[in-house]
Amino acid sequence: MVHITFFLALAAILFCIGLYGVLTRRHLVIVLVCVELMLMAVSINLIAFSAIGPSAGIEGQVFTLFIISVAAAEVAVGLAILIALYRNRESIDVIKHDLLRW
Amino acid sequence: MSTQLIFFLVLAIIAIAGAVLVLKLNKISHRIVSMFFTFFATAGIYFLLGAEFIGIIQIIVYAGAVTILFVFGMMMTEHRNITFGYHPRKIHRVLSFIGVGTLLGLMLYGISTLDNLPLKEQYVGTAEDIGISLYGHYFIAVIGMGFLLTAALIGAIVIARKEAK
Repeated sequence: MVHITFFLALAAILFCIGLYGVLTRRHLVIVLVCVELMLMAVSINLIAFSAIGPSAGIEGQVFTLFIISVAAAEVAVGLAILIALYRNRESIDVIKHDLLRW
Repeated sequence: MSTQLIFFLVLAIIAIAGAVLVLKLNKISHRIVSMFFTFFATAGIYFLLGAEFIGIIQIIVYAGAVTILFVFGMMMTEHRNITFGYHPRKIHRVLSFIGVGTLLGLMLYGISTLDNLPLKEQYVGTAEDIGISLYGHYFIAVIGMGFLLTAALIGAIVIARKEAK
């Protein structure tokens, strides 16, 4: 049986790669991909604590199902917003969309 | 070194390499393919943890539906050039790297000091357990999730629709 720290370390590394991508990439599709990576890292944590640990149970898997549903809804709405943005502003560079900056 | 550890290491290397290639490859389509490999390796890690149902759902939803959605999103927007030229704030990337690196270091330090977890036998939850819990204790959450998915479907159609002149 693999120790739980390996799974937690993998999830932390994936989360940080996703966070770095969200903060630095400028293509909107890649930013959405990195958000998906971050959500998936959280799912790995939940599944690991659902299988191994002092309070192992089915709840981690149930909450992972909810996370997957929310991620699917989020990516559908996010890509719709992306297409609307591209149609209106003719660009998918993140730093061009700065109407709400103060 | 047990068989499970070898499988875990292979899957983890595939997942991390895919995630790094998402940031490093030159074409958007190649980046989406490497994201697909990351999702697939994560499904393998779910299988390794005894969560078969979640692994299958991960393959269906992430590796199937989300990847196809990203391919369509890439197709409908500008994807020829992904280098946008001059970045007005060079310091931004350095600061992001330092911040994320610090966060990763802190998290790995916290995880490495976590050595007193009692190692019981690995819990294996079947799809039947998930169904009983989902439609028993979490019934209202399932109803709310249905409303959320309906709202997301209608909202995506309304937002992406072309405005009538």
